[in-house]
Amino acid sequence: MGCMQMLVLLWRILTNVLRRLGWGLLLVPVAAMGIALFGLNLWTLAAVVLATVVAVQWPAAAARALPPSMVGAGLSGLFVAGRITGSPVNWVVSKFTAVGKVAQIPAKGSPAGLRWVTITPNGGMQVTFSPKAPPGWTMGVPAAVAKRLPGGVKAVGPKRMFLPRQVPAQRKFVPNQFVPANATPKGASLHGAQFFSGPAKFAGGQPPAAFAKMGHLARPPWAVQAPAGLWHGRLLVPLALLLLTLGLWLTPRTLAGLRGRGAILAPEVRRWLVANRWGVLLVPVTLIGLTVFGVRPWTIAAVIAAVVVLARWPRAAADLVPVVLAIFAVRGFQLAANWQSMAAAFQGPAFNAPPAGPGVEYGALLVDSPGTALLAGVEASVFLALGAWLVPRTIGTHARTVFNPGTDVELAGRVQRLTESRSHAVDAATSELRRIERDLHDGAQARLVALGMNLRAVERVLPTNPQAALALVAEARESSVRALNELRDLIRGIYPPVLADRGLGHAVRALSLDTPMPTELDIDLPGRLPAPVESACYFAIAEALANAVKHASARKVHIRIKHADDILRIEVADDGVGGADPALGTGLQGVERRLGTFDGILAVSSPPGGPTMIVMEVPCALSSPKTFSS
Amino acid sequence: MRVVVAEDLFLLRDGLTRLLTAHDFEIAAAVDNAPGLLCALLEQRPDVAIVDVRLPPAFADDGLQAALTARREVPGLPVVLLSQYVEQLYARELLADQAGAVGYLLKDRVFNDDQFVDAIRTVAGGGTVMDPEVVTKLLGRRSRDEPVSRLSGREREVLALMAEGRSNVAIAQRLFITEKAVSKHTTSIFTKLDLAASEDDNRRVLAVLAYLNA
Repeated sequence: MGCMQMLVLLWRILTNVLRRLGWGLLLVPVAAMGIALFGLNLWTLAAVVLATVVAVQWPAAAARALPPSMVGAGLSGLFVAGRITGSPVNWVVSKFTAVGKVAQIPAKGSPAGLRWVTITPNGGMQVTFSPKAPPGWTMGVPAAVAKRLPGGVKAVGPKRMFLPRQVPAQRKFVPNQFVPANATPKGASLHGAQFFSGPAKFAGGQPPAAFAKMGHLARPPWAVQAPAGLWHGRLLVPLALLLLTLGLWLTPRTLAGLRGRGAILAPEVRRWLVANRWGVLLVPVTLIGLTVFGVRPWTIAAVIAAVVVLARWPRAAADLVPVVLAIFAVRGFQLAANWQSMAAAFQGPAFNAPPAGPGVEYGALLVDSPGTALLAGVEASVFLALGAWLVPRTIGTHARTVFNPGTDVELAGRVQRLTESRSHAVDAATSELRRIERDLHDGAQARLVALGMNLRAVERVLPTNPQAALALVAEARESSVRALNELRDLIRGIYPPVLADRGLGHAVRALSLDTPMPTELDIDLPGRLPAPVESACYFAIAEALANAVKHASARKVHIRIKHADDILRIEVADDGVGGADPALGTGLQGVERRLGTFDGILAVSSPPGGPTMIVMEVPCALSSPKTFSS
Repeated sequence: MRVVVAEDLFLLRDGLTRLLTAHDFEIAAAVDNAPGLLCALLEQRPDVAIVDVRLPPAFADDGLQAALTARREVPGLPVVLLSQYVEQLYARELLADQAGAVGYLLKDRVFNDDQFVDAIRTVAGGGTVMDPEVVTKLLGRRSRDEPVSRLSGREREVLALMAEGRSNVAIAQRLFITEKAVSKHTTSIFTKLDLAASEDDNRRVLAVLAYLNA
């Protein structure tokens, strides 16, 4: 029984906890991945602390920041993974620590670029360049790595080779102290260094102490923490890809959420982002290009160009996205096509065969074996599929508007939205009329009937029993008072008198006076709004206030109303328990629909535990202030 | 006592005029719009004006605005506002000048002509009369506040009647207690709310309303 049920139970508990605390809490583990990727330092610690503070203090903002953070973490993971698999130095170190060989790698596999990196048993590293290597060959050893190599780093070879970012070349190279007994020298060295391949056998059967020490020391910090922690990096790439995919999947939802709910960004920025979401994609896509073609001047130029194109011609940027993806795909297929020739260079099973050289980077892969070449082909297919999926959304729509201007997609969307909101408006008006009809029928009308009957009874008893008649008249008067009260309430519900008299600002002031809790008002309305907008906004605020009193048990409410740039913005914030959701209650949903009639939007930020912030925006013009004629 | 009546609906204007004439008021003018009201108030200088809040030409709060304008010209000009609804916002504006001699009542209160006429005479005499509904709302809003919550149930009743503008005698009659008991309650209320006690009824009402409106 138990296993499945336990899992379900655990999942329920987890999702409940998350719902209570907010999804924003996930920001903390995502930030903590930084420690795994880049090691424990001031920056990664600060990121975790910042994420915790944001998640606790502003859960809604944290939840919104989650998808981009996941994308960032995914990209960083791929970046680190690329460095781990792509860096010969680290490859040597990890190979060494993993297999226990005295390691060496030939560079590139081509005779012209022959290059050796040797880890010496005493913890030194020797980099040997071939005299035949083409000019400009470099061997980068991060200073952090070099520092940790007790034997130092030494470059040997023609003078035109150099070691950038390396410890000073003068650092002393300690010659090999341990020479494996049966090692077969292979390759050549300019300075008499020895190179070995095959399992190392040490004198005495045990690797010297320096070996073990070196295995610990020689790992660069970013190689130790990330790959060692994540099973030597084998988990890193899948995890990074998972995060990236999840983040990319969630980001458009957040953007869509921003369109409907969140109002953190300025409206024009938000509108621009939503309208040009495919164009915005060009920048991350060109960033991926850095991993496909490597960090080169032209790939960096492509990223800059992407930003410029996006800013100047967002439509062209959107059209370029599938093109760039197709180029990535071509490169990937080209690499994949090499797999047979690669296989020929191997003896043994393709996937277990040792790499023939440092390989070529492609995406998150290091293509250095037939297996990885095939994986590159798979990755290329993903790029191609994504590009193909984008074609009808970018080039397709643009071509359609160019060749057939009548069917503008945006226009069609607008017509659809208007049709929806119009039917909502008609529905709402009809149900409102029905409510009024019912209220009048059951209320005032019934009371008037009772009144008439009372008066008739008075007529009958007056001659015989004036005392009883007096009581009946008193009753009739009571009845008329009640009818008036009911009519008053009904009218208030249809169109509040103060709103009719003085407009939204005063009506909200009157509303706040009737609210049994301190209400701060910040109203900036220099004129009158169109009557339908005024009424919709009034009832929206009334609903929000009623919610704050009834459900949120708030202690204080702040209402801000501002009209600027032909947009009316209303904020209602309370310090209650939060947890308001337009999807759950019909009240806020009705408000959203009613505002939708005027192209207005409603945004609710109400994490469990509060505070609640309701933002409404309605585009509308302001008429000049009504002047009182006396 | 000379009265100006401003009411745009003929039936109500006629009814009011009859009711007031029956109670020995002299109708100085009966108008049906805000500009006419302002003229009448400034020219006739009546002892009291009975004004509908909503009047032509704008059918908004023109009556209230005309009354406020007139009171700015003639401070303390007694005005009773009638309306189909009462708003704390409007009550606040009427009371803002602290001059007294204002009333704000629902139109329903006309049904009880004795009380209505009493209220008009109180305002004409410089007193302040607030509709029970206004007072209920004011008290409802302040009921959570510390000082108000310290009042006993009886004291709260007395406070409400005081805010409506009733004298000690009227409160005693209404609550079936002695006048002495009422003044004991009022002293206690003023102490608890930390208000300066005053023998003058009008001052007292204004103080209580100002406190509740704060």
